[in-house]
Amino acid sequence: MSSALMLDVRAITKTVNTQEGDLEILLPISLSVNAGESVAITGASGSGKSTLLGILAGLDIPSTGEVYLNGNCLTALDEEGRAKVRADNVGFIFQSFQLLPGLTALENVMLPLELRGNKQAKSLAMDFLKHVGLEKRLGHYPQQLSGGEQQRVAIARAFASQPKTLFADEPTGNLDSNTGEKIIDLLFDLNREQGTTLILITHEERLASRCQRRIILAAGAIVSDSNAELGA
Amino acid sequence: MLALKLLIRNWRSGELKLLGVSLILAVTVLSAIAIFTNRLEATLLVQSNSVIGADTVVAGDHTHPKEWEGEADNAGIKYTYSNQFMSVVYAGDEMRLASIKAIAEGYPLRGQFDISDIPFTLKTNEIKTVKTIPAPGEVWVDSRLFSALKIKLGDKIAVGDYELKVAHILIREPDATNPMSMFGARLVMNIQDLPQTHIIQPGSDVNYRWLLAADNESTLNKFVEQIKPKLTKHQRLVTVKTSQDRLSNTLVFAKNFLLLTAIIAVLLSGVAIAIASKQFAERHTNQVALMKSLGVSANRVRSLYFIQLLLLASGASLLGLLLGSAIQALLISAVQALYNTLFMPASFYPYGLSFASGIICLVCFALPALWFLPHIPPLKILRKEMKVTRSQLWLQAIFAVTAVISLIYLFSRDVRLALIVTAALFVVFLIALLVAFVLLKLTKFWVANAGGAWRLAFASLQKNAGQSVMQILVFSIAMMLLLTITIIRTSLINEWKIQIPENAPNHYLTNIPADESERLQQTLEKNINQPVVMMPNVRGRLVEINGAEPTEELRKKHNTLQRELNLTWATNLPEANKIVQGHWWDTWKKSEHQLIGVSVEEGTAKELSLKLGDKLRFSMGGLTLDSEIASIRSLDWKTMKLNYFFIFEPHALDQFSPNYMSSIYLDEQHKPFLYQLLREHPTVLLIEFDRIIESIRTVMDQVTDGIQLVLWLTLIGGCLVLWAAVMGSLESRKQEAGLLRALGASRQLILGGVLIEFAIMGLLAGIVAILGAEFLVLSLQIFIFKFPLQPHYLYWLLSPLLGCTLVAALGLLGCRPVLTTPPAIVLREAA
Repeated sequence: MSSALMLDVRAITKTVNTQEGDLEILLPISLSVNAGESVAITGASGSGKSTLLGILAGLDIPSTGEVYLNGNCLTALDEEGRAKVRADNVGFIFQSFQLLPGLTALENVMLPLELRGNKQAKSLAMDFLKHVGLEKRLGHYPQQLSGGEQQRVAIARAFASQPKTLFADEPTGNLDSNTGEKIIDLLFDLNREQGTTLILITHEERLASRCQRRIILAAGAIVSDSNAELGA
Repeated sequence: MLALKLLIRNWRSGELKLLGVSLILAVTVLSAIAIFTNRLEATLLVQSNSVIGADTVVAGDHTHPKEWEGEADNAGIKYTYSNQFMSVVYAGDEMRLASIKAIAEGYPLRGQFDISDIPFTLKTNEIKTVKTIPAPGEVWVDSRLFSALKIKLGDKIAVGDYELKVAHILIREPDATNPMSMFGARLVMNIQDLPQTHIIQPGSDVNYRWLLAADNESTLNKFVEQIKPKLTKHQRLVTVKTSQDRLSNTLVFAKNFLLLTAIIAVLLSGVAIAIASKQFAERHTNQVALMKSLGVSANRVRSLYFIQLLLLASGASLLGLLLGSAIQALLISAVQALYNTLFMPASFYPYGLSFASGIICLVCFALPALWFLPHIPPLKILRKEMKVTRSQLWLQAIFAVTAVISLIYLFSRDVRLALIVTAALFVVFLIALLVAFVLLKLTKFWVANAGGAWRLAFASLQKNAGQSVMQILVFSIAMMLLLTITIIRTSLINEWKIQIPENAPNHYLTNIPADESERLQQTLEKNINQPVVMMPNVRGRLVEINGAEPTEELRKKHNTLQRELNLTWATNLPEANKIVQGHWWDTWKKSEHQLIGVSVEEGTAKELSLKLGDKLRFSMGGLTLDSEIASIRSLDWKTMKLNYFFIFEPHALDQFSPNYMSSIYLDEQHKPFLYQLLREHPTVLLIEFDRIIESIRTVMDQVTDGIQLVLWLTLIGGCLVLWAAVMGSLESRKQEAGLLRALGASRQLILGGVLIEFAIMGLLAGIVAILGAEFLVLSLQIFIFKFPLQPHYLYWLLSPLLGCTLVAALGLLGCRPVLTTPPAIVLREAA
């Protein structure tokens, strides 16, 4: 495991304007994540988990503070610059899978590769779908797949472009416990194989316990940051 | 190419289908109309030119200078000649005055001859259309002449010193100048035979006609401008406009109408495209957010979507163009077979324009709706509820208005029309928006007591008032445009019908000797069962007004002073005449006046500044008649009855040995009777106006048929708009229905709710539509078509009814998936 710093967060806050006045969603937060580390961010609804994930992944910017992703200062870049950093470093897995309904499983996995101009998009996507056990579902559309299968396609899509950091937003949130279990196994297997840095948000104890480290948020602040026992 | 791949995937997944189909249909309708109207216009122009046998004729009593032919050759102008003159022709013991037309090879440049072997026939299977001219030594003769000379085909006719064989009977001819000519019985011969006849001598009264035509209108115009200054006072230019005003008007009407239809098709397509694009953009919000989260830049998103759109526009335009030209080919072949007319090919313009209009439509109607896509924040992928800034409505409106104005202009090349239509539409849009909103608010009062399906329908209408108003607006715009086109079409056709009333006189008998007039009147009345009026007729000139000869200037300005006029007397005021000043003979006190009374037609009186009591001197073959204006009359020229500029008091013309004239309506069935009639009254001349009416009707029918077909195409465009609007609300309806069904609502309840909701929207749209259509029709009638104004009561009933039925039917059809998809799937998709 490399000990290079993948993510460095320095005193970020997030405040939004509402009709009732300014609302502080994140109080000053600082943390750092090493490359290859797996981190679970947990907390009650409204604790600021999703906002934090958005900022860490460069989808959003903090009101104050700085975020470095793989050495790039996201807060100093404009949206185009952040897009480039995301393209080079980031992958996502979403609670609601976010598969494009008009594309087949194979095309969904191919899309990020094609957007990066990868000439081997098709064969790579097929490999990854095989890896997640969906080699017989290549031509199926999302609505023809079960929830678990859809999330496997999403995982294949995320890993296919071999991101340095993978952000997952409640990856098992829409799945039953059995299916969720299988998805967790798959996620950590691939993570281990590829040495990806994994940052995920979850409510699930099972999932959080598999991560090397757990950060608990409450009311926009980190209340606990502990290295868990290695679960995987 | 990634954009192409994405396009294919988007198409396959159905996301682009509505947009693509709207665009294909738009271009199909546009190109079909554009190509069809272009060909129709070209054909009508050529066909109307066949009225003079050319595009332009130089006519005069001298031949044109030979050097002009060299200039015409250089300019690429086609030309030929005809010489027309009157002469007595002989066949055995019979002789007759005939109007002879000697023609050269290539005659006519426009139009063709219809010949037959059976006199007076109008049956298409007995008529042959030919592009040739009589061979040397042969003549074609008019049915009247054929009957009067008691000849049969193959007999010889002597024209001057030369004998010619009668080869065919002439049924219809181009360049039938002055159909009202007293001596219209025609004989057509080859100009090569003319010298042998020895008829034309120095001083002979011959009308020399040099016929000109060119494939390119501007070439001809340039040439005409070139020779115009060289024309002597004995020569004049004849064009369709100068020779046939009624036909020219028909062309202008038809062109304006077809243009209007094209514009309406553009608008309907634009609305469909805008709606489809909005749906496409909504569906792609997530896709773009995902792409951006994966690090795709805004510029890349922009270019990916722009290229997709451009590819779609090109493909759809091409396909639409192919379909459109296939449809117009079908239309043309149907019309062609029906009328036995060869249609002219279209120019490149409508093809290029249709293709370009596909691109313009997509850029101006679709692009504004998609404009926000590259600006979707990547965070949207995590936060579904996050608001995305859509393009400003006013920006979309500016794009749409720009597209509409530029397309109207490109299609009509008429700035005035473009501005009037756009301004009227803008006002109508605002009114419609307001009315739709108010009507929708009013439905609130019905909700209180509603139950079951009604409650569902009202709740759905009220819940999303903004969306409902927009849908009503879209429905009403489509219906309004269709109503406008239907009303205008009906007015247009009625107007034409009024121009030539049914049962208008179609035969004119002239040169009836006074002693035969009564017998002829009785024979006619007995055989055709209608009252026949015999009008005495004397040819004379107006030579003095209030004791002074008209000045040269006045004479030049007014046709009435240049030629011999038909003068008559009458006891009773003829039908369709009205006294506007002075007295008709029954109340005119003759004893108070020294001179003979004359009644003058209103227009003529105005032109020559004549008033009651003015003294007019007429000259009839050297004899003069002094008269005093007793009354001024208005008359309806459209009745086609015998109309006179000057009508004298009873028996005033008896001393000038008048002959008599009459006008009658005769159907085809009674035609053989004419044959017999002409034998019994050999001096009587017959003018068969039915052929002229028929040729005008043919052109009008052709235009009407074209309009009907174009209207059907536009109707498809209208239905597509309605369909797009229904489809636009499908997703949210699916979710609601899924939820309702999951909660145990019956299929009937949901079906009833959908049906009632769309029926109410259709009803309201129908009311808004007829209001708007009346406004549009009003402005078009005032500014463009200049028809008399009238309300359209039937449409006030039909529009809401049709709106209700049509929109409810489309709504039900479109919402079928809502009812047939199991609720579990619906809810899962929604999640």
